[in-house]
Amino acid sequence: MVSRNKLDAKDLNKLGWLSMISQSGFSFERMQAGGFTAAMIPGFKKIYGDQTEEIAAAMTSNMGFINTEPHMITFLQGLILSLEEAGEERSLIQNLRTGLFGPLAGLGDAIFWFTLLPVSAAIGASFNTQGSVLGPIIFIAIWFLAAISRIWFGKLGYRLGINSLSVLKESGAAITKAAGILGVMVIGGLIPTYVSLRFPEDLTLFGTVPVQGIFDTILNNILPLGFVFLVYFFLKVKKVSVVKVILGVIVASVLLALLGIL
Amino acid sequence: MEITLTQGLLLALVAFICGIDAHWEVFFVFRPIVTAFLTGIVLGDVALGLQAGAIAELAYLGLTTIGGTVPPNPLVAGMMTVVIAHTTGQSPEAALGLSLPFALLMQWILVFYNTSFAGFLRLLDRDAALGETKKFMNTVMLGTWITAATYALVIFLSAYAMQQPIAAFVSTFPEWLVQGFRVAGGLLPGVGLALLLRSMLNINNLPFLLIGFLMASYMSLNGVLPIAIAAFAIALLVFLKDREAAKLQAAADGGNQDGI
Repeated sequence: MVSRNKLDAKDLNKLGWLSMISQSGFSFERMQAGGFTAAMIPGFKKIYGDQTEEIAAAMTSNMGFINTEPHMITFLQGLILSLEEAGEERSLIQNLRTGLFGPLAGLGDAIFWFTLLPVSAAIGASFNTQGSVLGPIIFIAIWFLAAISRIWFGKLGYRLGINSLSVLKESGAAITKAAGILGVMVIGGLIPTYVSLRFPEDLTLFGTVPVQGIFDTILNNILPLGFVFLVYFFLKVKKVSVVKVILGVIVASVLLALLGIL
Repeated sequence: MEITLTQGLLLALVAFICGIDAHWEVFFVFRPIVTAFLTGIVLGDVALGLQAGAIAELAYLGLTTIGGTVPPNPLVAGMMTVVIAHTTGQSPEAALGLSLPFALLMQWILVFYNTSFAGFLRLLDRDAALGETKKFMNTVMLGTWITAATYALVIFLSAYAMQQPIAAFVSTFPEWLVQGFRVAGGLLPGVGLALLLRSMLNINNLPFLLIGFLMASYMSLNGVLPIAIAAFAIALLVFLKDREAAKLQAAADGGNQDGI
């Protein structure tokens, strides 16, 4: 019997502040996964106390690939903590996590990087060119407010999770399956965006036929798709360890770059 | 105007602190407008820091880390523009261009780090499975310390000690090695996605993987949000169908029991 404690405002404030480290240890393989999980550790510890196996399971289920806009990270973490607190199935939580991080990234990018950054930069720069130190000061002030907004986002995510609980209780299995569809379809959509595999434009067969052009006429982005399936095959069927796969990818990349093929 | 050792060390300190934020992307003090300003303060030329900050910030507005990419480094560009203008007397505009080799150097280093930090994941997976929360946190934070220290070292060497040799080194570094890591950087997210699929993919949702892929590939969509909404729509349909089927099943079972 797993016992769970509830999180309070203090725990959510802690989450808000600690979520600032969420990009620590960023790597191309799983991007924010490590830091994302680390910031939720105090939350897991509050929920599960000294039931280490539960904490371990919660941590492990969050180690999958994730990349979202930094301010939106906390929203997702609040949501995940509320679902952990309620004892929801981890497959459901994982599927929601995977399905939501992409759209949240799009939303966050639009708000912060495509709007707030140019606007704050323009304001700051105009003060700068007048020789006023208000330029950098205003810029820093704007982004400080944006930085602490994540505390509010975290609480919003938590409340959203809590309010969805009755629906989740009623139809858990169906929702997990639906969330799985959501997650996998978003992953499919991420493949062309995140995975790049293109031959250089000047690589040709017999001096005239562009190699990349051949693949493009078959299917757009067929190479990234093929690559993902290939890696999936090695991981799932051949059960190759991830380390070997990654080293193989790096070595192959450097070799092919040396030969001018990629 | 030469850079003194004290100034070099202070610049390294600025780079360290702003470097932490560059890694975390929380307070945005890693942006050129801030790093140039702080550099101007250290070098005793705030006016130059402001001028350089404005042009560097606007030049680097489009160069962000969206999608997990690594652009020529804004933090270094902001600081080195001021340093170069201060030491050579060039205009901030010219110094901005001359700061590019250093911004590129930092970019390459970070691409290399983003590739090799995947090594931490082995340790993290193991610590997570054992619930070793302290070790986990320490390993995660290593990325921050290594990155921040590297920013400090690069700025110290570029500003104080080895400006000329570094610029020369950047221009002779083997392009194929840099390209190799660039290619790997484009492929490694595919490994991460494949890892996710390893635990999530089954024959029932495979069709949707392909649909999502085709949508992103062939439609000019802004971001992944439209795909997520379409995915939600399909998932909702499936969910409602399942719920109807469950209700009909329950009614059929109930009917049989009444019969007896």
